[in-house]
Amino acid sequence: MKIVVCVKYVPDATADRGFNEDGTTDRESVDSLLSELDEYAIEQALQIVESGVEAEITYLTVGPDDATDALRKALAMGGDNAVHVNDDDIQGTDALGTSLILAKAIEANGYDLVICGMASTDGGMGVVPAMLAERLGVPQVTYLDEVKVEGGVVKGRREGDTATEQVEASLPAVISVTDRTGEARFPSFKGIMAARKKPLESKDLDDLGIDSDEVGLSAAWSTVDAATARPARTKGEVVTDEGEGGVQLATFLAAKKFI
Amino acid sequence: MRLAFTEDQQLFRETVRDFLDANCTTEQLRAAWAADSAVSARWGELAKIGVTGLVVPEEQDGLGLTDEELSAVLESAGYAALPEPLLESAVAAGLLAEFAPDAGWLERIAAGDAVASVLLPGQPFAIEAAAADVLVIGTEDGEIHVVNPADCTLTAQRSVDRSRKLSAVAFTPAPETLVASGPAAAAALARAADRGALGAAALLLGLTRRMLDMAVEYAKQRVQRGVLIGTHQSVQHHLANVLIKLEFARPVVMRAAYSLARDLPSAARDVSMAKIYAGEAADLAARNALQVHGAIGYTEEHDLQLFMKRAWALGAAWGDAGHHRARVAADLLGDAPAPLTPAF
Repeated sequence: MKIVVCVKYVPDATADRGFNEDGTTDRESVDSLLSELDEYAIEQALQIVESGVEAEITYLTVGPDDATDALRKALAMGGDNAVHVNDDDIQGTDALGTSLILAKAIEANGYDLVICGMASTDGGMGVVPAMLAERLGVPQVTYLDEVKVEGGVVKGRREGDTATEQVEASLPAVISVTDRTGEARFPSFKGIMAARKKPLESKDLDDLGIDSDEVGLSAAWSTVDAATARPARTKGEVVTDEGEGGVQLATFLAAKKFI
Repeated sequence: MRLAFTEDQQLFRETVRDFLDANCTTEQLRAAWAADSAVSARWGELAKIGVTGLVVPEEQDGLGLTDEELSAVLESAGYAALPEPLLESAVAAGLLAEFAPDAGWLERIAAGDAVASVLLPGQPFAIEAAAADVLVIGTEDGEIHVVNPADCTLTAQRSVDRSRKLSAVAFTPAPETLVASGPAAAAALARAADRGALGAAALLLGLTRRMLDMAVEYAKQRVQRGVLIGTHQSVQHHLANVLIKLEFARPVVMRAAYSLARDLPSAARDVSMAKIYAGEAADLAARNALQVHGAIGYTEEHDLQLFMKRAWALGAAWGDAGHHRARVAADLLGDAPAPLTPAF
């Protein structure tokens, strides 16, 4: 079978991230890397193969030139090949447009199972897996905490606030996995050296038959209008208990609408 | 010669850095200080990544890589002050690969099943000899012996950096333990000492960066008399001077790794230059980081000491600055052969 893992090249979440003047992500002033949440998706794909399922793993990313770094890291962890969709017209594309590009690239590659992380660490919307399933016309099983593939079915466990669900879907399907699926492995040195020899294909919008009007900032349904830096933390209020501490605390919390 | 890491080397260092960020915390370092041995389960995990087998030949399940990759990885190990004897194990592996490739040790080192340590002529103490499975000893008369540490009399010694578990080693050379002697052994011991000095230089680069990062972070947090101390130019200069030393030392270390990996005639001199430069950078980093931290930097409760003391220990190990300057001078003046092995 064919497994496609969607990965994103994102600005380092631990750095001081910001926006360009047009509201798109500033990729210049901050180093970028493979989204940490996508590492869980890679790990699950590798574990599916290690559990005995015969599959070819393809990594797919949509991103700028440097996004090959994310693919190389993924290939160093394991897997077979990678596809990089890169086109100047893609800059500023929103989740809806991204799902279109991913869907076309996945269809072109062929797939039985598509694995995504639960969200990107930059946009953080978490909607792409669902949009992708809709565009591909296949079942979606999102936010899985545990994944298994057997007999043409993908099964998993989803922990909710009030219940634990056992869910499954027939293949082909799209799933997304959470950061509770288990720590992603570190690439081994052998893996890093082998990754250089694995095929990495680059495609543009033309190759996928996508009109440049359908994507990019001008076609985006959601854009960033304005962004304000979070104000610096101010000194907290210290409540000294002189017999009335509890009441004072409750008054404070009520005033802030916490209770 | 390109003085920059290749893409693979870059990924090796990042991988080890990421792994050690999570698996070699300062709490774990403190635990290593308190324990009898600093070797932990981390050794096996490092082996899985390929770290312990980096310079083990491919025929013995290693990666067969060179001093260039080794120093790239050791820089990350230095940044975390990794307490395991990674450098000593790599030096031992080099000697084992040359003279005892079929003894089975190399496969076990690569797999993380065995820890190797080394004692070269002139070295007073071996690191982790008690925890090691095999000890490679070079004697003063130029013989190389592969010894079971259990057959030696080990006397523990306290290092300023208590995660370095030092022992004086007494052993009786026997025909069964002898693997090499004569000119081949002497040349190999000289090369092993160079690998050790280069590795120490790479570790010192990582330690320098760590102490600088800690001092910069502190200067951005610490408020005195109403202002962040990092806003004072005098403090900034202290930090910038460390960065300059570090950036000047790195190409010197890279050059030495390049020369040693290719056995160039200048290798011994280049290694000595690397040890001098990296030692100076780490020394300044320790001094200035301590200065910037103020009184808290002197306390054992603060983490700075973990890195500072490692830098002090490594500055003196594998030949101190004086020793290496003498080697450079001898090489440049040509009036005396560069000593083959360091005097520790």
